[in-house]
Amino acid sequence: MNFVHFIQLILVLIILIAVGVPLFRGLSKIKLFGKLDLSGEEYKHLLVRKEEVLLSIKDLEFDWKTHKVSEQDHQKQRKKLEEEAVAILERLDVLEKAKKKGKRSTRPANKV
Amino acid sequence: MNDIGEFTLLVALAIALYGCVSYIMAVRGNRIDLYLSADKTPVIVWVCVVISSAALWRGFITNDFSLQYVWAYSNKELDTFYKLASFWGGQKGSLLFWTLLLTTYMCVVYFQNRKKNIRLMPYAMAIMLVIIIFFLVLLNFSTNPFERIPLPPEDGRGLNPLLQNYWMVIHPPTLYLGYVGFTVPFAFAMAALISKNLDDGWIRLTRKWTLWAWFFLCMGNLFGASWAYVELGWGGYWAWDPVENAAFMPLLVATAFLHSVQIQEKKDMMKVWNMSLVLLTFVMTIFGTFITRSGLIQSVHTFDEATLGYYFLAFLAVIIIICVVLILSRLPLLKSKNELDSFLSREASFLINNLVLLGIGFATFWGTIFPIISEAVRGVKITVGPPFYNQVNVPIGLVLLALIGIGPVIAWRRATWANLRKNFQIPSVIALVTAGILFPMVPLTGRAEIFTYVTFILCAFVLACILREFLNGAKARMGLEHGGSFVSELGTLTWHNKRRYGGYIVHIGMVLIFAGIAGSQSYSVHDQKHMKIGESFKLRDYTITYEKLTAVEATSVKTRVIAEVGIYKDNKRVWTGRPEKEFYKGQNQPVSEVDVLSTIVEDIYIILADFNEDESATLKVYLNPMVSWLWTGGWVIAFGTMICMWPDRLEQRRRLERMKKQQAIFAPAQE
Repeated sequence: MNFVHFIQLILVLIILIAVGVPLFRGLSKIKLFGKLDLSGEEYKHLLVRKEEVLLSIKDLEFDWKTHKVSEQDHQKQRKKLEEEAVAILERLDVLEKAKKKGKRSTRPANKV
Repeated sequence: MNDIGEFTLLVALAIALYGCVSYIMAVRGNRIDLYLSADKTPVIVWVCVVISSAALWRGFITNDFSLQYVWAYSNKELDTFYKLASFWGGQKGSLLFWTLLLTTYMCVVYFQNRKKNIRLMPYAMAIMLVIIIFFLVLLNFSTNPFERIPLPPEDGRGLNPLLQNYWMVIHPPTLYLGYVGFTVPFAFAMAALISKNLDDGWIRLTRKWTLWAWFFLCMGNLFGASWAYVELGWGGYWAWDPVENAAFMPLLVATAFLHSVQIQEKKDMMKVWNMSLVLLTFVMTIFGTFITRSGLIQSVHTFDEATLGYYFLAFLAVIIIICVVLILSRLPLLKSKNELDSFLSREASFLINNLVLLGIGFATFWGTIFPIISEAVRGVKITVGPPFYNQVNVPIGLVLLALIGIGPVIAWRRATWANLRKNFQIPSVIALVTAGILFPMVPLTGRAEIFTYVTFILCAFVLACILREFLNGAKARMGLEHGGSFVSELGTLTWHNKRRYGGYIVHIGMVLIFAGIAGSQSYSVHDQKHMKIGESFKLRDYTITYEKLTAVEATSVKTRVIAEVGIYKDNKRVWTGRPEKEFYKGQNQPVSEVDVLSTIVEDIYIILADFNEDESATLKVYLNPMVSWLWTGGWVIAFGTMICMWPDRLEQRRRLERMKKQQAIFAPAQE
């Protein structure tokens, strides 16, 4: 066996140990992830939507200050965005309460 | 070392295959042991590819001509600088370099996300590994960079003289960083489709990656243009060559994606469109590689044998089929929850911008593949030249330029005509004033000149729109309770809205590029004269005098013949140009090295076309106006992109708060 073959052998051994060890640690019974919590996924999505709607309100205010939207459109859009934000907050509230009570919400998601 | 380099390439392939299979099995079987095992593979594959690449670089540095690739692209006389760059001088090294970048990106993605996105990450990693496997299969079984020569020659063939330019060190890596970078958003998009995790999480995860890849592709295109300008010696920088088009098309689709993705983030709509765009961008990068590597289309960029076309074509077909099937099967999940509020809104302008960008993309695609289609259908290869692209893309490009100005001024969701009239008043006046000032100054005899005139007017309009955005934004902030001075508010405005105002700066860069292209394409003049020493000729306001011819033995393999040319304006010497011809040992054709004096107004570009033993020479001189605007535009784009990509503390804080909140209610949190 020459030096190159020796290095190659060492390399293969290191790789086999690195990828093989997790397979022989008796972890096969442990799950990678739990059952998908749909309300948790919805909650995550709604948190992002809430942020986006609040940022949209901020943008709208800025657009209004820089005269990009008319007063009438500003009011109309703001009302619409606020309603959207309220709907999201209400739904978040429902999901939080349901989770805290240890029950999963069975109500279908509101369209927000 | 060569044996080890070759061996690690094979090991990388085996481990990538194992990683891909075990990631999928782990997530399908919900097994943590397989996942933990698979999770070691990205780093192992990367280490193997790094060792392999180091071995090839070592081959170049140590002049190991037993390697066929080193022999073909290097020689003893080559500067170390170019020896390092010879790595990507040919097909084999290019593919290894691509693999090196891809595995490096994969490792970064792995370290960024391994502790989160547990449902998405295994699929994303598996997809990246599939792409790596494709390249490793090519490297191991079709185009091995460690192929040996049984009896190593004394010296190598050397790098193509056209590639011995500092851009060779900069341009290909920049372009590859862009090309390869789109693999990351593609992998996450595919992962989202497979795992049915179709909210905008994958978009948020890959937003910076998309911008990163877009930036490098954009700069790669510009660097390529710059290289062509100084090296190919035809006075221009863009020839609508198939390989140039190959790098341009993904840039167009990616630009469309960068805009439309904002609509999904803001309004949770256009999911199918965005998904299609990101997949198309990746498909275009592979198509680009197919064009370069197929040899089916003649290109000035063909510096090497191209033998891998069919592999890439098959890979392309498989990717397209999988993407289409996945999107179609997930259509119900990709349905938008919101609709467009008004056709007079920023969203609508982004939509039009998308259609325009894709229109230019399609025209370019059609022009690129037409020679293949014409040959297949009629047996005659009809080459599509610049007139086709200019005729189709210039008018569409002007619409795009106008949209760059119009878009930012329109409000999100809904705007009114009254507001638009008010907001466009000043930019329109500035555009009209520009039109009035330029009218007596520019000739308007042909279609091209009229388009150029319109371009300048639109550039003024767009610049006014963008500057007005900065001005109004800063003024609005000054009106706030804690408002400061104009300059400080301008800084705060940009810093607190990096994405928006960084984007505007990128748009300013685009305006400069449009102006540069228009000016240089329409008002360029040139003349060619065969002259004896001391003779002169006039070109516009300049007198060009041929003064001297010198031969210099630069190295043992390179001889330079340098002409000295005096450039006079109003009897005053403004510059001494030194264009040259370089003769390389073993190369039949000499290489022209142009000399350029670049100013904000114009470039004086001199080529030594020919010379005789009696020291007479043929000089070709171009006056190219506004070329430097193009390169300046590139640097402005770089600056704007840097602002866009700068970490946003507010956004990071919001994300952390979101995770904390979710963790408190639905532990464990997964972003």
